Amino acid sequence: MDQFWNVTSELLKGFGQNCTIFGLTLLMAIPLGLIISFGSMSGIKPLKAVVRTFVWIIRGTPLMLQLFVVFYIPSLVWGISFDRMTAAIIAFVINYAAYFSEIFRGGIESIPKGQYEAGQVLGMKKSQIFFKVVLMQVVKRITAPMSNEIITLVKDTSLARVIMVPEMLKAAERFTMQGLIWPLFYTGVFFLLFNGLLSLLFSYIEKKFNYYKG
Amino acid sequence: MSMLQVENIQKSFGKNEVLKNISFSLDKGEVLAIIGSSGSGKTTLLRCINFLETPQQGKITVNGNTLFDAETFDKVSERELRRRRLHFGLVFQNFNLFPQYKVMENITLAPSLMAKEQIRENGEYMGAKTMRQAQQAIRDEADQLLRKVGLYEKRESYPCDLSGGQQQRVAIARALALNPDILCFDEPTSALDPELTGEVLNVIKGLKSANSTMIVVTHEIGFAHDVADRIIFMDGGLIEEEGTPQQVIDNPQSARTREFLARFNQFGD
Repeated sequence: MDQFWNVTSELLKGFGQNCTIFGLTLLMAIPLGLIISFGSMSGIKPLKAVVRTFVWIIRGTPLMLQLFVVFYIPSLVWGISFDRMTAAIIAFVINYAAYFSEIFRGGIESIPKGQYEAGQVLGMKKSQIFFKVVLMQVVKRITAPMSNEIITLVKDTSLARVIMVPEMLKAAERFTMQGLIWPLFYTGVFFLLFNGLLSLLFSYIEKKFNYYKG
Repeated sequence: MSMLQVENIQKSFGKNEVLKNISFSLDKGEVLAIIGSSGSGKTTLLRCINFLETPQQGKITVNGNTLFDAETFDKVSERELRRRRLHFGLVFQNFNLFPQYKVMENITLAPSLMAKEQIRENGEYMGAKTMRQAQQAIRDEADQLLRKVGLYEKRESYPCDLSGGQQQRVAIARALALNPDILCFDEPTSALDPELTGEVLNVIKGLKSANSTMIVVTHEIGFAHDVADRIIFMDGGLIEEEGTPQQVIDNPQSARTREFLARFNQFGD
């Protein structure tokens, strides 16, 4: 029993790291993703090309590789280095911002032109049309794909172990090396519980938006 | 001096010249109906007047103020453009209500945003000195407009819970809330089931008796005949014929007009 509590507390310590990566990534990747989505819809052709190429590279390469790049390249090339956690968060934010930006772009482009025109003829500013008319409709439309990505993010945080961030799977692996295999499988419970809570939250949000159609 | 003067409007999309030198004028309190087959340019003309399209040539003047001049239009700031827009209101074919807002909020959203801006900058909005007073005035006005279009009891509903005819009446109230000098309608009944067109047309008739100045692009020839003071028949980006309903619809002079109207009569319109 002592062993169980010992393992649980070690894993929880590791899971704290997962939660940190999760929280900070979400916090920063959403606004960054919105900015990227504006770039990929921009009327300025060179900007649009640069942004879309960037999204292609980020979505087209493994997150694990991106973790290595952010952690090792700066120190190899410029002799500066981020600590492991910072490097992990930078890689996660960039990666998820690229995915989010495509969801945002899809959502924004799905809003009929007539909504913008109605705002225009009512004398509204562009920013007012976006924030007061379009944004809420976009949020409703992207709730389902965003919940998918966010649930994936929870699980992806364990990838940070490749650059030695002491997250939960890393902690479980240490037990494995001591000949204790079950903690590795036990980690699944933490992910399941966390994602269960998230799923409840998302279905609550979806219900909240059900008051109107369209 | 007419209220609205449209001079030599020319608009092309790429190589396709949709409007070729359109000119007309409109007096205060007058109702103008624009008829013509699809692709004749009537909707584009209405969109040009509402600054949703920018003509390559021409001039638009309201009450002696030049609102659009193709020569200088690219120098007009967004702020100034927004101010100029308010001379016109536009009711769309597809209503374009904001689905996430209640009927009441659909009507008060734009005036509230306007009030906030004007109170911040000039210290007042239509006599109201505080946002609180302004909100009250805007809501009272919206109540009145909803009574006018017969939907007061629906003010807490969402657009998705209304019929097409009701949605279009809300859209009319929304456009009226900003007190435009000229209210424009872009085929206001084309997206409606036939049995719902009457209620919308009746609201427009009601506005005519209240002396509103209106431009109505429509396929409802009978309605145009009853309500319009003047009719423009457009064909191929040009005004083919213009005059009173009696002149244009009952005694068309142009062969194209006769042909167009014959097609309508054939279906017993």
